Amino acid sequence: MLEAYVQFALKAIAREATYRFEVFTSIASLAVRVYLLRVVWVALYAHNAAPQGVALHTIITYSTIALLMGLVLDIDQTRLLHDKLHDGSIVVDFMKPISVPLYFFSDGTGEVLFHAALIVPSLALAAFIVHIDIPSAAVLAAFALSFFLGYFVGFFLNFILNCIAFWTLEISAVQLIVTWVTDLLGGQIVPLVFFPAALQGAIFALPFAAMYSTPLLIYVGRIPPEGYASAMGLQALWIVILGAAAALIWRAGARRVIVQGG
Amino acid sequence: MFDVYRTYWRINLLTTLEYRANFLLWFGFTFVYHGSAVAALWIMLNNFPSMQGWDFRDMAFLYGLWMVAHALNATFFSTVDQIPEWIHDGEFDRFLVRPLDALYQVITTPGQVFPDELLLALAFLTVATIAGHLAVTPLFIVLVALVVAGGALIDLSINLLISTAAFWFVQVDALRWIALQLEQEFTRYPLTIYSRGVRLLLAFVIPFGFMNFFPATYFLHKTSNGLGLPTAIGALTPLIGIVFLAVAYTFWRAGLQRYQGVGH
Repeated sequence: MLEAYVQFALKAIAREATYRFEVFTSIASLAVRVYLLRVVWVALYAHNAAPQGVALHTIITYSTIALLMGLVLDIDQTRLLHDKLHDGSIVVDFMKPISVPLYFFSDGTGEVLFHAALIVPSLALAAFIVHIDIPSAAVLAAFALSFFLGYFVGFFLNFILNCIAFWTLEISAVQLIVTWVTDLLGGQIVPLVFFPAALQGAIFALPFAAMYSTPLLIYVGRIPPEGYASAMGLQALWIVILGAAAALIWRAGARRVIVQGG
Repeated sequence: MFDVYRTYWRINLLTTLEYRANFLLWFGFTFVYHGSAVAALWIMLNNFPSMQGWDFRDMAFLYGLWMVAHALNATFFSTVDQIPEWIHDGEFDRFLVRPLDALYQVITTPGQVFPDELLLALAFLTVATIAGHLAVTPLFIVLVALVVAGGALIDLSINLLISTAAFWFVQVDALRWIALQLEQEFTRYPLTIYSRGVRLLLAFVIPFGFMNFFPATYFLHKTSNGLGLPTAIGALTPLIGIVFLAVAYTFWRAGLQRYQGVGH
């Protein structure tokens, strides 16, 4: 039974690999953005040593890793759900002897694995442009775990958004809005520690921070080992909340399809 | 000819009114898109005194100039982006059998265009101008109007160049995506932060620098524009826009000639 889902994932990898031009552009664009982040932060730090105790090499490492994480986190891995609702072919999937949400999960995982593989050449390219700090193995392991948790927060968020297509078909504007909000309030563009102190409490509590900021702050050592449990606990809490919400919305949406089907 | 244009806008606005919820969502997107860019600049400059002598007010004015020029292009010439798709589907051929210039027909193909982004951009530039304590004289207003019009032509020319490439290559989406990204991210900061090669590239090869940076150095009385040239070159934006459009249009005619030659 599990084998079917592995096959779905493999099929998604093969599908993504056919977009060779897109692969090239996403790597080229990443290189340009790494150059840009370097010149921007160097120019800002020219007259200021280390605001909020963040050194220049730290912010460059932070921003570069954030861009690399974006290769995975910016993927809308459940887009297929939206497309299938749009053309109606989801009806056929409901007839198959499979769990439909798991099918979308496997397909999305395949897509993401392919893009995750692009991190390797991108990282190599970025290393030519900027110096990236490498923390200890223990910190790296904590970062990997936190990134993994952040990925699931993003997965459920995307899944919920794509489920909106059960009710209304045009959702691309909403998705783009969420993407921009995620990049800003997740701390991908500017670290959240630079935000006004009065806003930080609220912003750190949002699910967006659980996607980017938490793993990144672990990577650069801003969250010390004794803070790992509470930081990742909050990420896990978001997974539970968003996962439950996704399950509820999915059930309501799926019932709609069946009702319409007669 | 003007009748066509009036009818075009009538259809655009009516279409937009037809899909009101959708329009509101897209307006929300435009707002969040520019809002998050400006918010990011504000947060950065809250922690640092300035970026090479440019504080947040200067940067907001810089962004405002780009925003208006870009919105002008997006409002009046957005369909230029669709040329590759039309060539690909064979729909482009219908423009060639009608008694109007092909590019004019492209520009007047109705879609769902509404001047919302333009209005937002004008409001933002006005606020940035007032907050920046710029002396608003009649001459200033005329110059700003000419500069944003020139900036819109630069934006249009880039789009036209990329669309024209579709006569030779089927896939130009990636090219457009890169160009758009370069434009959006590199026009956000003062040109002086880049290395000399990048400055020259953004000044004279892909003249994004003339959309906002050079005019802004002029309007804000900055001492240096990073090229060692007088800051008054910032007032040349309209001229650069016209020259660049002439280059793009020549290339477009060549592409059109070739397209007919193939005999689709």
